[in-house]
Amino acid sequence: MKSLHKFLLVSGLTLGASVMLVSCDKTVDEFQRVAYTPASVDDKAGTWKTYLAAPTDLTLAAPTSTTSAEYVAELNNLKSVSTTLSREQQEAVVYWGAGAAYRWNEIARELAARYNLAPASNAAGVYPVPSAADPTADPKFPFANPPYTARMLAHLSVAQYDALVAAWKFKYQFNRSAPSKVDATVRAALPVSALPTYPSEDAVVAAASAVILKAMFPGEVAFIDSRVAEHRASRLWAGMNVESELLAGADLGSQVAAKVMVRARADGMSGANNQTLTAGMVTAAKERGQTEVWLSQESPVRPPMLPNYGAVQLWNFDRATLVKIRPGMAPQPGSDQFKKELAELQDMQKNQTREQARIANYWSDGAGSYTPPGHWMRAAADAAHEAKYSEVRMARTLALVATTLADAAICCWETKFYYYTPRPQQFGVKTTIGLPNFPAYTSGHSTFSGAAATVLGSIFPERAAEFDAKAKEASESRVYGMIHFRSDCETGLTCGKNIGSYAVARGKADGSGL
Amino acid sequence: MGLLALCLIQYTPSWAQMPHDAIYMPKKSVCFAGVYGKSTWTEYWEGSLKRENFNIGTHTTQSVMGMAAVGVSDRVNVIVGLPYVWTGTSAGNLMGQRGLQDVSGWVKVKLASREGLSLHGIAGGSMPVSRYVPDFLPMSIGIGARTATGRLLTNYTHPTTGLYLTIHGSYTWRSNINVDRDAYQADGRVYNSHEVKVPHGSDAGLRLGILRKKWQAEVFGERMANLSGDNIRRNDMPFPTNNMQATMIGWYAKFQPRYVGVNVRMSNVIDGLNMGKSQSLSVGLLYQLGGL
Repeated sequence: MKSLHKFLLVSGLTLGASVMLVSCDKTVDEFQRVAYTPASVDDKAGTWKTYLAAPTDLTLAAPTSTTSAEYVAELNNLKSVSTTLSREQQEAVVYWGAGAAYRWNEIARELAARYNLAPASNAAGVYPVPSAADPTADPKFPFANPPYTARMLAHLSVAQYDALVAAWKFKYQFNRSAPSKVDATVRAALPVSALPTYPSEDAVVAAASAVILKAMFPGEVAFIDSRVAEHRASRLWAGMNVESELLAGADLGSQVAAKVMVRARADGMSGANNQTLTAGMVTAAKERGQTEVWLSQESPVRPPMLPNYGAVQLWNFDRATLVKIRPGMAPQPGSDQFKKELAELQDMQKNQTREQARIANYWSDGAGSYTPPGHWMRAAADAAHEAKYSEVRMARTLALVATTLADAAICCWETKFYYYTPRPQQFGVKTTIGLPNFPAYTSGHSTFSGAAATVLGSIFPERAAEFDAKAKEASESRVYGMIHFRSDCETGLTCGKNIGSYAVARGKADGSGL
Repeated sequence: MGLLALCLIQYTPSWAQMPHDAIYMPKKSVCFAGVYGKSTWTEYWEGSLKRENFNIGTHTTQSVMGMAAVGVSDRVNVIVGLPYVWTGTSAGNLMGQRGLQDVSGWVKVKLASREGLSLHGIAGGSMPVSRYVPDFLPMSIGIGARTATGRLLTNYTHPTTGLYLTIHGSYTWRSNINVDRDAYQADGRVYNSHEVKVPHGSDAGLRLGILRKKWQAEVFGERMANLSGDNIRRNDMPFPTNNMQATMIGWYAKFQPRYVGVNVRMSNVIDGLNMGKSQSLSVGLLYQLGGL
């Protein structure tokens, strides 16, 4: 008995002491990305094909000569603000040094996460619709769900890309050298490439991004302005750009973003949540042979998410193509295939393994997350960063991926409401990741993932198998989470790959030679 | 945790020789206990907003816990426990979770005593024993953090009547945890990491009761509060980073004529933050070896 007492005492004290030691550090370990010298400055990028804003339609004042009094004054100012930096200024330099498009994409994902919450029902059992006129009231505007986020990221990335192509054109037209090359006493805190610095690519991206993001997140104007101000200042603190380069960049970025906003205002998004169409959609689906249609499983019954999003304007192909590549019907309740797929989910509910739960959780990207499009944009930005892409090639990568994600969202939503298929929860299946409130077939995750992985595999051929495996895992994760039948996922993945091939073709034809 | 019905409190041992009482197993004695617990809530606090959720209905957490308390000496006791926990809802489609939760161990030491007044130091720790999912709240069976708790407790027991008053307070360190996803939102920002910061916590309690040779009865009030953390976002689910707080009141009774005994504990959360407004009940069967 005595040795047992001693054992318990010693083990108890050891347990207590050990947990105390490991639990004191609360810092969350996050991988920090930093600046690099691009593998290529892509000096011909000024000729690459843009989406919406042709560089020839844009104007930019010529810079003053580097021997002019104005420039010398700017240079002296640059030296004074970049000589001694506070800790916060140094951190800002390092943060923004990771890349302008990289950081603004990350900011956009964060905004999506912060706004990705479905409205709560009110006392009358009604779900109020978020209002752009009063974006910070409850419910906040927007509800940044996957379709909304895909469209937001597409406009953001296209604005960044088009603005950077124009910036590259003007950079090589004016050929102004970097401040630290004009005057060796300027201390550059970040790698300096051979790229001319007028206009500043950072200011171009910041201005273009801010216009798009303020339109997409009207409650975040002050936040976005503060990020622009820090980004801009960080270029001075780093000794990378003089004031006139930042002003020119902001001018060019704003011009391009204004053109992108013309498209955004007319792309059909304003009619995407037209709930009066659903009765007709249900009738049409039944006429097509859908024996049992989707019903909201929420209480009170919630109107489906953006039933008319399928009518939003596409990026990489036309509407006739959308109709052509729309998949056939899902297996119908009562069929052998349907019974087999339902049985798979019923078995999963009893025997879900920890690894299946892990995969379902890893890809869940549900409420409060940056959504599946955000997940894939992160993968794209990280891959381009690891490949040391120039700012313009980074933006090209993001635009190709973001536009295919937007196309995937449109095609997928069109299919969902064309067939109006039920979720497994209408047959008594539970979920470990939460149930989205729209029809099942085809799976959004699968369509997004197939499209993004196809584009990424084309841009990074050496990593194609990796992206393909991730897409398959993301697709299957919805079976493991028990919110999709296997057909929803497999068909969605195939459709996604098909959708991605159109963005790949666009990339092959954009004059980059990439 | 959070909405997961007070696992912090519910699974603190609920019998005599607890980490929050002044009762000691005599030297060379051991007490074994099996405790069934059930905790339910229909309303919860989303931040400070008290609400219902028709897609959850009533949330229930149940557990069975095996425990042992050992009298190392008349002034030093060691207590260990391990619960099996399962969760469920009366509405909606979230799947209940089940499994072995966290093993806990406590050492309780009588530091000083004089004329019915005593001071006690209590140290404890816990750690998960299975790989349960910690962030599928409110269905998860725990939050997956390792913990270490330091507690001071004072008691006055009237020598002849057995009437007593106990006051205790503690600080709980919690480790960070790893979740399956590699990005999540907390504090209004996105963390691009698997690692999640779980707030440290404090608690305090006041107990008034009577302790006799064969029975004990007590009323209590308890307050637990995390020392940091964020609120549940509007109409979102809880997350391990939430600042959870609760005030509860309850009663406890034990009847143990000799070797075998039973106890009952009931409590109600009366105020809270980011937690369920729970009603909890536990019933334990006790068996003592030696020391009588």
